[in-house]
Amino acid sequence: MTTDTESPTTAARSAEPAPPRRRIGFTGRMMAPGIALLAALTVLPFVTIVVMSFSEVHLLGGLSLDFAGLSNWARFFTDPDMGWFWLRTALYFVLTLGLEMVLGVLLALCVWRLIRGRNLVLSMLLLPMFVAPVLVGLLGRFLVDPTIGLYSWLLEQLGYGGDVLGGTFSAFAAVVAMDVWEWTPLIALITLAGLTSVPLPLREAAALDGAGRWQTLRHIVLPSISNVLLVALLIRAMDAIRYFDIIWVTTNGGPANATKIVPVRLYETAFRFFDFGYAAVIGLAMLLASIVVARTFVRMLDRKGLAR
Amino acid sequence: MSVVDTADSRAASAPDGGTDDNRGGPAGTRGSRLSPLERTGTGTRVVIGIALTLALLWTLVPLVWMVLSSLKPSEAINSAEPQWLFNPTLRHYTGLFTGGNELAPYLWHSVAAAGGSAVLSVVLGALAGYGLARSGMRGKRHLSFWIISTRMAPIAAVVLPLFLMFRQVGLIDTLPGLILAYLTFNLPFAIWLLSAFFADVPRALEESARVEGCTNWQAFRYVVLPLTKSGLVTTFVLCLVFAWNDYAFALVFSGPHSQTLPIAASQLVTQSGIDWGQLCAIGTFVVVPMMLAGLAVRRWLVTGLTLGAVTGE
Repeated sequence: MTTDTESPTTAARSAEPAPPRRRIGFTGRMMAPGIALLAALTVLPFVTIVVMSFSEVHLLGGLSLDFAGLSNWARFFTDPDMGWFWLRTALYFVLTLGLEMVLGVLLALCVWRLIRGRNLVLSMLLLPMFVAPVLVGLLGRFLVDPTIGLYSWLLEQLGYGGDVLGGTFSAFAAVVAMDVWEWTPLIALITLAGLTSVPLPLREAAALDGAGRWQTLRHIVLPSISNVLLVALLIRAMDAIRYFDIIWVTTNGGPANATKIVPVRLYETAFRFFDFGYAAVIGLAMLLASIVVARTFVRMLDRKGLAR
Repeated sequence: MSVVDTADSRAASAPDGGTDDNRGGPAGTRGSRLSPLERTGTGTRVVIGIALTLALLWTLVPLVWMVLSSLKPSEAINSAEPQWLFNPTLRHYTGLFTGGNELAPYLWHSVAAAGGSAVLSVVLGALAGYGLARSGMRGKRHLSFWIISTRMAPIAAVVLPLFLMFRQVGLIDTLPGLILAYLTFNLPFAIWLLSAFFADVPRALEESARVEGCTNWQAFRYVVLPLTKSGLVTTFVLCLVFAWNDYAFALVFSGPHSQTLPIAASQLVTQSGIDWGQLCAIGTFVVVPMMLAGLAVRRWLVTGLTLGAVTGE
């Protein structure tokens, strides 16, 4: 977001074509409206959030920004709770991404071996991806409701009687499980695309050379889909940074901050405590994290020769 | 292509390894074919069968339970023991369109905001994506990177400054405001993805069209666009799903004049308790259209969701 604010003007400049450079002029004109709108929607907010991070923001009686120097930033780096929020966020990401990757790959391997009914099974497995995350959260609450929930009833039969969203550990496990429920299919879908692109002759050759199923998988199949797996991981990683709807409607960060990941903290700071300056600092830190992921993504596409 | 069809054609073509009878079927049947050399043993098949059954149960039980609960009388929902047998009722659905919690405005806001942002994204994204795919300008890599990082920006970090800006210009609680907010993620997505689809169209086609006397615009409009119809539809559907399912933006930017269905669902959670029957009815209402739309473009889902980095099923 920060790197290339001059691009829109580059596009606009090339909109006046000199006759011999007609092609460039045409593509520039094609890009202009979309890029200009996108620039307005991203550069302006970016400048705003940077300004906010150095200000004290007052909303009552008309919007006003008072210069606050580095106080928001100083607070960010000295807030003892902040470290815990980031640590908890990291744990949440590692757990959800790890579980989704492992389960997704296993699921893809199973579906791949399926001969009859693969389309039907795959279609059914994909359904959670299309459910609004906020509904995943609300539905999860319904299922683990301590008095009428289907899953809490099941857990009770298995000997666990507590309120799932009431305990710090179980609440964390529950929001992880909801995210895993929604997004494992995405990993499975992408992995399956990789698996089906491994050429049949390659696998046959391995089989003829006496490689067992496990050996073929380990030495032929998995290495050939490593790029695809990396794409799947990065796609998930960047969305995991973006969404927090599930936590917002289930535990709202509780109990006792057990599920308070950084975006939830930001929303709370801004829209419950109306401390916009401090929220802006948190937002910029999150932005930095997402840019690192985006960079990795583009680098990797470059290496595969896929970037345009 | 039906399920049975796929299985049969695979069985028929596996021995000779190369008949083309899968053409036109779902992508992936070709590479997915198992060689007779790697037939799975009975033990493995049983393990796979059990694993898939568990996965299907884990996936489908919550959804089935939601739909069932939306059809249950409230007493059956509120019983401590799960009720599988009950007298189905449409009370929760009719309740959505009568009485105090009139759902129609929410539905209209959802359709307008999600549909509006999806249409705008595809139109502007097609133009810009084509320009990006064919442009030879300097700094194109920087431009691409800027576009993709816009798409990946955390929602919370985008909402914050937009909130102040929208307040200044009076866009809070308006549908145009919500559409603009959704464009922050849908527009870069559409530009990037459509540019991937356009990059797959051979330049030679446009060149020969120009030799035949087409202008650049005509070559784009009559040669390239028809060839990328599936890409356009996929982009539209995914933009629609992203915006329709949004909660974080609508929570901050919408008010009585622009609240969407996900907000309506979350508003059923009140201090005095939750009307689960209504919630399940709204949930079914929100979820089913997106599932149908998503499955309709299943063949291109991988390309779409990986932003063009992985193709095929």
